[in-house]
Amino acid sequence: MSEARYRSLRELPGVHALAAGTAMCAGCGGLEALHEVLDVLGTRTVVINAAGCMTLLASYPFTPFHGSWLYTSMASAPAGAQGVRDALDLLRSRGRIGADDDLTAVVLSGDGSAYGMGLSATSAAIERGLDFIYLCYDNEGYGNTGQQTSAATPHGARTPTSPGPAGHAGEKKDLFDVWVAHRPRYAATVIGAEPLDLARKVQRAASLAGPRLILALAPCPTGWDYDPMHGVDIGRLAVRTGIWPLKEYVDGAVVHTHVPHPRLPVEAYLSTQGRFRHLFEPLRNDALIGEIQQRVDRYWQNVG
Amino acid sequence: MYRIRFHGRGGQGIRTAASVLGSALFASGREVQDAPRYGAERRGAPMSAHVRAGRSVIVERGAIAQPDLVVVADPTLLAGGVLQGLSAQSVLFLNGSEPADELRTRLACPGRVVTWPGAARELEETTGVAIGALCAGGAARLLGVISRTTLEQALLAEIAGHGSGAAEAGRALGLAGFDALADSAGMVGEGVDDPGAGDAPPDWVRLALDDASLAAPDVFREATSELVQTGLWRTSRPVIDAALCSRCSWVCTTLCPDSAIHAKAGEVPQIDYEHCKGCLVCVLACPPHAIRALPERQPATAGNPR
Ligand SMILES: Cc1ncc(C[n+]2csc(CCOP(=O)(O)OP(=O)(O)O)c2C)c(N)n1
Ligand code: SF4
Ligand code: SF4
Ligand code: SF4
Ligand SMILES: [Mg+2]
Repeated sequence: MSEARYRSLRELPGVHALAAGTAMCAGCGGLEALHEVLDVLGTRTVVINAAGCMTLLASYPFTPFHGSWLYTSMASAPAGAQGVRDALDLLRSRGRIGADDDLTAVVLSGDGSAYGMGLSATSAAIERGLDFIYLCYDNEGYGNTGQQTSAATPHGARTPTSPGPAGHAGEKKDLFDVWVAHRPRYAATVIGAEPLDLARKVQRAASLAGPRLILALAPCPTGWDYDPMHGVDIGRLAVRTGIWPLKEYVDGAVVHTHVPHPRLPVEAYLSTQGRFRHLFEPLRNDALIGEIQQRVDRYWQNVG
Repeated sequence: MYRIRFHGRGGQGIRTAASVLGSALFASGREVQDAPRYGAERRGAPMSAHVRAGRSVIVERGAIAQPDLVVVADPTLLAGGVLQGLSAQSVLFLNGSEPADELRTRLACPGRVVTWPGAARELEETTGVAIGALCAGGAARLLGVISRTTLEQALLAEIAGHGSGAAEAGRALGLAGFDALADSAGMVGEGVDDPGAGDAPPDWVRLALDDASLAAPDVFREATSELVQTGLWRTSRPVIDAALCSRCSWVCTTLCPDSAIHAKAGEVPQIDYEHCKGCLVCVLACPPHAIRALPERQPATAGNPR
């Protein structure tokens, strides 16, 4: 590939494309990822936002965006992106706007939408080859309504709807693999705490056309129950414990952009968050911690 | 009926404070209403919580406009209209240690004012969610109708969900707050009775539909969120020590979730205190530890960064 590539953090854009003054919680990891993504994409975007925490970004008359923003129901942001793309294409084909005035359609959705209600619309949009970028900020629950369990909630995490002594009994859906099974133009996992890796992936996505999907793990102080100041550490631990693999799918192959070595034990990550507190007190639940460790070990055994 | 209004920020445990006080009043034989009130904003933003306690079913609804007791979680909140509705009979209780008479004069507060007495002044150093338990304990003593044991049980029950460590810390702080205000016990009196008690239910009120251009208006200006001073959310203030800063501004400007740090290449970055929410992510992320966290104690004024 011959496109430009950030070589170091130093080269990242110094000018922010997302303004301050939003209603997101102090220390929101989703907001961190979003501004890092938009800093690379620039301001010539239309953000199509599925209902979730981030729809509070633009609450009339205030907006942090320099470009346009459109609010959709939880299930239909990719359909909204189709409408925006079609409208822009029509304007271009009729000569009403030139290439310089074109905009990038960017879907912004939480995991509740991306892994659940919005998955069918996403699947159809990839199938149609829609030219758009999809950003999911994955805070592993229905954050806006109080962090109820979603299809992205990890096994063992306690949520208001999985309150028992073992937390959530289900499994986190592998959305990246679901996306990749559609053979999109590009897909990647990122995290705001690794900004260079994130920026390179967004830069690559921006250089391509067609369906490009980005999945950002989004540490959430409110839903995960930790002091906001630890957000970046927790993000880095998600990567260093191997819980959040950083990878990309391009030209038909999945490549890990970072292989943690040595891999830290998962409890280094789990013990930082109140949603996993029941694994450590009043009694340590070695069986469940071991089970979570095994899942991660198995994942990395299968990485080439 | 007692009307108690708490003022704090999301993350200071104020919703829990109202639940603790409400539970304790309920256990003391009162009918109770307890409701937190948030805007669209998330954790960190100023919020309030409203507790009513009466001797019969409470009909009055909504935010408390004429409180008998206002509880304020820290001095920075005094800038934000917390005095609203206070009368000569009401009491303002601040989690702070400025002498009460000085504060009363400075604020031109019509009601009586309570702060921590000198011997308990270290209580105001409490941070985070624990502030709620402390304020609940102080408020319980000021009402004078809640026993120490009842308060203790309410603290343990309402904080239990946050883990055993938090519940234990909350219990200790709540009781410390209760004990510290012994000299002001029972200072708050009950306000007027519930004016709605015994009323027939009201007729339906029909609201006319708004035109779509009003109900779903377009915004044509860019980046208007900069008009919102999220700096008011802050309880801790990050301060960059220029002598220690190694001018690697791509680190802090990128990792600040709120785009609240700006830098020109090679210069010490500037923190935008109008908008910095005080999450302190930058404090831990700065490689040479050049950013310190100071308590945000001063009320916002022209001279102080907010
Ligand atoms: C069809 C539908 N069901 C429920 C809701 C209520 N609702 C609004 S936001 C939200 C949570 C969305 O979760 P997620 O997509 O993960 O975003 P987050 O809130 O975590 O940012 C829910 C359930 C809705 N808007 N639409
Ligand atoms: S609940 Fe979590 S994702 Fe939502 S705004 Fe707060 S920190 Fe961000
Ligand atoms: S990260 Fe720390 S040392 Fe680097 S520019 Fe920011 S304040 Fe200065
Ligand atoms: S504390 Fe630091 S990281 Fe947090 S909003 Fe303020 S400047 Fe940004
Ligand atoms: Mg979510």
